[in-house]
This record gives sequence, C-alpha cells and structure tokens, in this order.
Amino acid sequence: MLRSAFTAFFRSFIRHPLYALLNLLGLSFGIAVFITLSLFYRFETSYENWSPERPHIYEMGTRYHFPGMTEDVFMSAMGGLTEEIKTAYPQIESTRDWSNPVIVHKGAEVYNEQIELVDGNFLTFFGVPMLYGDAATALADPSKVVLSVSMARKYFGTVNAVGRIMTLNDEEGLKTYTVSAIIADLPKNTDTKLDMLRLLTPQRTAMEPYTWHNWGSGQLEAYFRFKTPADASAFARQLPAFTDRQIGQKFGTDVTPHKILELVLVPWADKHLIDPKLKAAIISLGVVGIVALVLALINYVNLATARAGLRAREVAVRKTLGAPPATLRLQFLVEALLTMLLAFLVALSLVELSLPLINSAGGLFLKLDYQTDITWLLSVLGIVLAAGLLAALYPAFALAAFKPAQVLASSRTPGGGRMAGFLRVGLAMVQFAAVAVAFVLIMGFMLQIQHIQNADIGFQRDNLMIVQSIRDNAVSQAQRESFIAAARTLPGVSHAAIANAIPGDQSTSNSSNIVRPGQVDSPTLSPTVNWSIVGEDYFQLLGAKVLVGRVFDAQRGEDQKWADDGAGDKSRVYSVVISRRAAKDMGFASPQAALNQPARFNDHQVRIIGVVEDMRFYNPNQPIPPKLYLFDVHASYAVVGMVRYQGLSEPKMREQLRKLWRQIAPDVPFDVTSAADNLDTYYKPERDRTHLFTIGAGIAALIGCIGLYGMAAFNTGRRVREIGVRKVLGASAGQVVGLLLVQFLLPVALASLIAWPLGWLALQRWLMQFDDAIAMPLWIFPVASVVALLIALVTVAGVAFGAARTEPGKALRHE
Amino acid sequence: MTNLIELQNITRLYRSDEVETTALHNISLHIKRGEFVAIMGPSGCGKSTLLNILGTIDRPTAGAYLFDGADLAKMSEKNLAKHRARHLGFIFQSFNLVDDLTIYENIELGLLYRGGIKGGRRQAIEGAMDKVGIAHRARHFPHQLSGGQQQRAAIARAIVGQPDLILADEPTGNLDTENGAQVMEILKSLNKAGATIIMVTHSQSHADQASRQVDILDGQLVASVAQVL
Ligand SMILES: Nc1ncnc2c1ncn2[C@@H]1O[C@H](COP(=O)(O)OP(=O)(O)O)[C@@H](O)[C@H]1O
Ligand SMILES: [Mg+2]
Repeated sequence: MLRSAFTAFFRSFIRHPLYALLNLLGLSFGIAVFITLSLFYRFETSYENWSPERPHIYEMGTRYHFPGMTEDVFMSAMGGLTEEIKTAYPQIESTRDWSNPVIVHKGAEVYNEQIELVDGNFLTFFGVPMLYGDAATALADPSKVVLSVSMARKYFGTVNAVGRIMTLNDEEGLKTYTVSAIIADLPKNTDTKLDMLRLLTPQRTAMEPYTWHNWGSGQLEAYFRFKTPADASAFARQLPAFTDRQIGQKFGTDVTPHKILELVLVPWADKHLIDPKLKAAIISLGVVGIVALVLALINYVNLATARAGLRAREVAVRKTLGAPPATLRLQFLVEALLTMLLAFLVALSLVELSLPLINSAGGLFLKLDYQTDITWLLSVLGIVLAAGLLAALYPAFALAAFKPAQVLASSRTPGGGRMAGFLRVGLAMVQFAAVAVAFVLIMGFMLQIQHIQNADIGFQRDNLMIVQSIRDNAVSQAQRESFIAAARTLPGVSHAAIANAIPGDQSTSNSSNIVRPGQVDSPTLSPTVNWSIVGEDYFQLLGAKVLVGRVFDAQRGEDQKWADDGAGDKSRVYSVVISRRAAKDMGFASPQAALNQPARFNDHQVRIIGVVEDMRFYNPNQPIPPKLYLFDVHASYAVVGMVRYQGLSEPKMREQLRKLWRQIAPDVPFDVTSAADNLDTYYKPERDRTHLFTIGAGIAALIGCIGLYGMAAFNTGRRVREIGVRKVLGASAGQVVGLLLVQFLLPVALASLIAWPLGWLALQRWLMQFDDAIAMPLWIFPVASVVALLIALVTVAGVAFGAARTEPGKALRHE
Repeated sequence: MTNLIELQNITRLYRSDEVETTALHNISLHIKRGEFVAIMGPSGCGKSTLLNILGTIDRPTAGAYLFDGADLAKMSEKNLAKHRARHLGFIFQSFNLVDDLTIYENIELGLLYRGGIKGGRRQAIEGAMDKVGIAHRARHFPHQLSGGQQQRAAIARAIVGQPDLILADEPTGNLDTENGAQVMEILKSLNKAGATIIMVTHSQSHADQASRQVDILDGQLVASVAQVL
C-alpha cells in the first residue's frame, strides 16, 4: 500500500524540484550545524578521556581569598603537598606531574622540550596507553626516560626506541638517560602534555628549598585517585582542617589558614571547563547547534504543511477511494522519515566537506570517525529522526484531516485553514527573530573583539620581540648581560631590556602584601600587589605612560638594587615604581598622592618613586592586577629579554637575534616570540569561538531565509487567482508587488523588533565576562533589523515580481 | 429486486457563523440494484451534497442511510473508508486525477485500499482501461491527456474495483458534446453490465438516457420519475 505513496512522493519531488531542494537543503544545513556543534561540544566535554581512570581521578586546585585576588581556582599545587598528605593520610593514592623545560642534545643540535618529572606510579595511576615497555617499572629509577611516539620518532627515527640513550640537560644538569618505555601520543582533547617523562627525584626537590613546603606556592599538578565519588568527598571534607594543621601560624596568629588558602579537589573530568566563562561559551555554542536544528525543523513543518495544501486533492481522492486516515498519516510520516534520512546523509557530506574549513576558522581539531563514532552518530541520527518525526506530526495530521467533500468541490487549494496560516506566519517570525538576534550578537562580538585587539593596553605591542631563552638556567648572567648589550647595537633596535614581567606570560607571577605606615599588616586585610623585577630601559622600551614621578635610573645609587629571592638589605630603602591600580588599592586618593610615599613590602622598606599607567599583559577577560616594579640592572633573576625595533620585518629581526644568540650562547636553543603573538594566545580562543558562532548563526540565518522563501512562494502560489482578479480590475504590477511585500515583510519587521530585547540581554551577558568591555552599541539593533529585512526583501522580491508579472488570463485559468 | 439504497428523511444543515443553510431537507429516496438514476436541479439546490452523503464523504445532520440493509450512520470513519473501497466508485466533474501518478498508477489507486480482486490486479486494471478505451495512454501523466481522455481514465479508476455503486457528479460538465456522449455510452454499458449508477447532470438529454430521473429544488425532492428507455 505504501509503494504508491512512495511513487507519488518521489514524483512530486521531481515535479516540484524547488520545493524539494528548499526542504532538503534547509534541513541538511540545520542538521549539519547540529552535527558540527555536537562534535565540538563532545570534543570540549570529553577532555582526558584517553585515561581509563578518568572518572576516579581528581586534581588539587587552590583558591586564594586575598583582597584583589580573583576567586578562580588555580590548577596547581605546592610541590610537597602530596608528601604532607601521604604522612597524614597514608591510604590516599596520589601522583605528581611537574613540567620542566629540558634541552635535548642530538649530535651537535640542541632542542627545547618539556619534560614531566613524575612520581614512579604515574603510568599505572593514569593507565597511560603503553606501546613498549612496562608501565609498572618504566620509571623505577632516575636514569630512565619515557618517550611519546612522536618524541621517539623525532629523536630516534623509530617508534620502538626502548634501550636507546638520550642526553638531556635540565635543572639537574647534563646527564644521559635510557629510554625505558614508549607511550602513545595523547589525542587532541587533553590538557595533559606527555612528551617525555622521568622520575621526580629527591635531588630535584632539594633544589627548591623555599617553595617545596611553602604553603601558597604552586608549581606542579597533584592528582588523587578514589574508588568512589563518596571517598573523594569524604577526603575533601578533611582538607580545611588539614590545611589549618599544616599551616599553623605561618600566615599570622589572627587568621584561619583555610579561609585564605582553600584547597579544592576538582574532578579531573571537570578541569578543562573549570572556568565558568569558558563553560558558558561552550554551552552557548551547543545552544546555537540546537537552535539551527529547530529552525530547520520549523522550515520542514512550514514547507510540509504548505505542500500538504497542494496535495490536498490527492489526499481527498485517496479518501474517496477508501484510504483510511491512519494509512494516510502513516504515509506522510514515512515521507517525513525518508526526507530526514536523506537530509541527514546530505548533512554528513556537508560536515565532511566543511570540517577542514571549520577547523581552521575555529582553531579546532574536529573529525568524524565512522568507526569509533558510530554509536555517537547513530544517537545523533536518532535525535534528528525523533525531532523530525515530531515536526512531521503536525503536517501529517493536518493532511489526513482534510475533508474530501470540500476539497473536491472547490478548485481552490486549501491552505490548512486559518490556524495553519497563523502557525506559518508565527513560525516564520520565530525564525526571523532568531536570525536578527544572531545578527545582533555577531556584530556585538566582532566589535568587542576588535576593541580588545585594538584597545590601548598601556604599552605598544607591535615590533616587540621577547627572547625567552634568556631565562634558561644554562645561560649565565654574563651571557645575559652581553646579549642585551649587543642587542641594543643591532640595526633597527631602539631598546633592549630584561624583566620577568612579559606580555602574555603569567608563569613568573608573584604576589605579596604591601603595607603603608599606620595600616594593619595582615595577609587578609592588606592590599596585595603583583610584583616583577625589571632592568634598565624597561618602561622606555614598552612605551609605558609615566603618570607621576620617574622610572628607574641606573645612575642613581638609591634605585640599586633588589637582591635575589627577597634577601636584600633590610636597613636600606628601595625605590619602587607602582601602577595606577596599585596606587588605588593601597588607598591613595590619586597617583600624585602616592609619590615619594614609604611602605613595607616583603619585609623591606620601599619608597614609591613613580606611578605608571596600568598595562594589560594578560587575559582581557581578567582585571589588570595591581603592579609593583623592582629594579635590577644585573639580570641576576629569572628574566627574559625584550627587544624593541623599527624599520625592519619581523623575520629579519628574528634572524638578527638568532645570529647574535648563536655567538653568545651556542649551547642553548634559541627561543624568541613576538609580544603580539604571545598576547594573541589570550585573544585567539575568543576569536575562534566567535568565528564558530558566526558560521553557525550565519547558516541559521540562511535556513530562516529558505523558510521565508518557501512561505512566500507557497502563499503567492495560492494567490495567483486573486492576483489575476486584481489585475483584471486594474491593479498595476507595482501595486501587486507592494501588496505582497507588505504581507511578507510585516512579520519579519515585527520579529526583528522582538529580537531587540533578546539580543540586548544575550550580548549584555556575553560582554560581562570582559574586564575591558565596550559600551552596549545601540546602533547595531536597528542595523540588525534592517539587514534582516533586506535579506527577507531579496528573498521574497523574486517571488512577488514573478507573481505580479503573470498574465491575468493565465492566472485565472490556473488551478 | 431489493433496495440497494434507502434514504430516510435525510437532512443536511451547514452552520457557518450566523448563517444556517439547509442544503438538504427531509429527503427520502429508494434506489434498487441495477438502476441508473439521474439527479437534476438548479445550481445550489443540494445535488452534490446528496451525492457526497450517498458516497459517505459527508454525513447527514439527521435521517438514516441504509446501504444493502446496513445502517451507515453508525459506522466508524475507518469502516466507512473500507466501505468506500469495497462498494463505491466516484467520478467527478473535474476528473481529480493525481498529477504525479501515471494513468496506469491512477487507476491502480482504485484497487489500492480494497484488498484482493478476482482475476488479479493487472488484469483488472487492463480490463478497466479497455472498457474506457484508454489503454494506449497507460504510461502518460494526466496533464498530457485531453479532458475527455482524463475523464475516461477517471471512470476506469472508479470501476476497476468492480463497485456496486458508481457516483458521478456532473461527469460531462467539463466536456464537449462528443466527449460527453462517449462518457454516457460508457456509463450505460457499465449499467447494462450490472452496476448501479447515480449521476448528477444539467443535461436533459443525458438525463433522458437514465432509467429514472430525480428532481431536486431547494434541497427537497420534487419528483422521481421512472422512464421507459
Ligand atoms: N461547506 C459548506 N458550507 C456551507 N454551505 C455549503 C457548503 N457546501 C454546500 N453548501 C451550501 O449547500 C447548498 C447546496 O450545495 P451543493 O450541494 O453544492 O449544490 P449543487 O451541487 O446542487 O450545486 C448550497 O446553498 C451551498 O451554498
Ligand atoms: Mg454541485
């Protein structure tokens, strides 16, 4: 019985190719966006699932409750934390991962890599996928090194490099190691980097006497493993008391330590999205995927009910021939199912075709793998089919409910009654409201991203190179100083300086309290400043704005010098420069008021010799921290070099610096980045997500247009006779076009007004995450409406003009 | 001969907003198996309404409708559909062929919801096409045929299931004289072969060819005259 239904279905596809194409394409686009964003969502929420132990593993994070500190959880732990926990709770299973820089020697060449110093149980703890070697014994002694597949290939040209010898230079000096195991390269959806691993030795920890058991420092990642979530929360409940016991009175006598330093046990699976802003961004992209699918299904409902009208005669005939309503409903549902299935297949090919593009636009690594993803794909198909069936119910029932007597008596095509008409207009309005909201958001996103990329960040970010390799321990102080001195003489170089405050690198950040005379000295009440050590010419190099006073001057004895590790001369008064924000936090009414004021900082006397404008070195989402600068001409601290240049290209500058480096420190790999690239790491994720959002929203808009076009074509088709009559009665083509356009554009105009408050709310929420956000740009709302209207106009104009040009005679004969 | 159809006091009201139209008022009519009844009357008097009720695609507001002794008023929508598939054949003024199906497939529709047929499907379809002389057009689509040919195809679709009753609403209304005469010939030969036919027409000469003429005025039966052929 369904065979003839299929025949009629496919024939009508061929006879109404436009309708079929609109319906299929609309659906396919929607499903494709849905699949892509589901892929993205799955990627982002499946971090670390390379480890079979993922559900049992927790990482220790720290939240600091200091004035001026963010409440974000820092995912790092004090080096000796697991040792202290092991003493107090011997039954708790833990492991550590401390990322260290390492120089790999391969013949005469040297390479920079990152090596993980880990506890001996690391490989079994995580169930790291092993290719060669034994997980239990691979890290048993300190002479062993474990490599990933790509590292083995890079240094030995083969995967099975077990037994080969490697020469490494890290904090423990130049030594040889034997490769004991090869582990798989981890997939892209991980925040864990496992290239090279070796045992974390007591010799290494002994090199960190100040920090290893210093509560408040954080240098490595500490992981814990529990059998059940209940075990984990039982342990988490003990942490405040444990913290208080361990810290004792080190933070002062009048404070409860765990209220300042809170240990937070974070499920490892949640770590990637622990930043609520990131999580919200991922979820909103997921929402875009669902919205696109819903818009496509709305299209389907609209076009299917519209076509139902065109097929009313067929339905009526079938009814007079004795077709039971249930059979008719089944027929239309099967048609819907077939359409969905076809659209799903088209969508899959669209996804395949566009993934490379989307990956590069969104900075992603998405791929469809039909073997491993088959269950996932089937469940997406299930969702699409279920949603499709739901959407098909209305047209199916509307169709099957046509009264044959009325349909067959009149030559007019029924439109499904007034209700269906309202429904169609209503759904088109929903679509266009969504389209207009998308336009508002796209414009708002673009403006904000442009704003933070062009904003005055307090220093000049262009033509600024950062020589990271100066920080390498293998570089001596003499080498650092001669490199900087020689760099100043290179052609095109205007300034060269050293500092441990670098745009785009938060790894060297230190925070301490600063106390003015007469103020209480307390870790919870005194203001905290983020401090850095800078060399000569630093502020001049950055182009920092000096608000009041002066910056450091090597000629002045009193500016010299801040000694290593804060162990300076306590009888001296040191010169410091602070930022505008620090002056405010310290309670000065204005930068001027701070000038020449004394304070106590890290047990030393300091005097403020100048206040500089805030400089945005880090994430634009985060407030600029209050800064305090100390002076050190001798580059004795862990600093990097910065070079400001003009009048030559970046590659040329890099080349000059590389040559100079080769002369001064040939044993250390050269590592240079540009400040702009460094900073871009903060801007890129946001930009990538905006690209992704724009693509998704753009396609959603396209789907909306397809829907509007379908509705316009259908309504006009039904009104051919009316148009003919109007023309016979003397209406001009222009008047007919006007009539039709008003009919189609009025709902669109209304919808785009509904979009204003929605778009305003959504954009407002999104802008809230930025520390430096643009003011709500009001002009984008009318622009979004006008653009939506223009698109709608272009979409329906063809239909309206076509209809208005029809010969009245032909129109009246039309059936 | 027994009555195939018994209408008792059939009334059909249309209510729309404030206006109430009485399309049929108190119609009682008996039709025997094998009769060829022509229904006549001015436009809007209720002929189509009567035919739709006879065809069970419309229900009377009041009155009883017995078909072969069975009370159709009590039948469910599903059973009425079955009834139409088994016993009825429809012919319309505007043909109402399905545009997207070929002539053969359109005729096949007449068997689709009916279940099995004596002698097999293909034979039944080919037999029906032969009877109306449309076999050479089997693979064509409706829009490729003339009005007369389309109506003959529609008749083939109506008769392919060997219905007891053929209902024809102005079957010649859209046709010229020659094609109209052809359709009448086909209907008469079907009647001779045993089919009961009820036909609405505006043409006195076509009505004259029926075995009985029923006149309707303003929804009421005014005359029912048996004619000698
Ligand atoms: N669906 C309907 N709603 C309201 N009135 C109707 C409807 N169908 C028919 N009528 C009215 O019923 C009367 C009979 O119509 P109809 O049976 O079609 O007449 P005929 O076929 O004899 O020309 C007419 O007055 C017509 O206006
Ligand atoms: Mg009529």
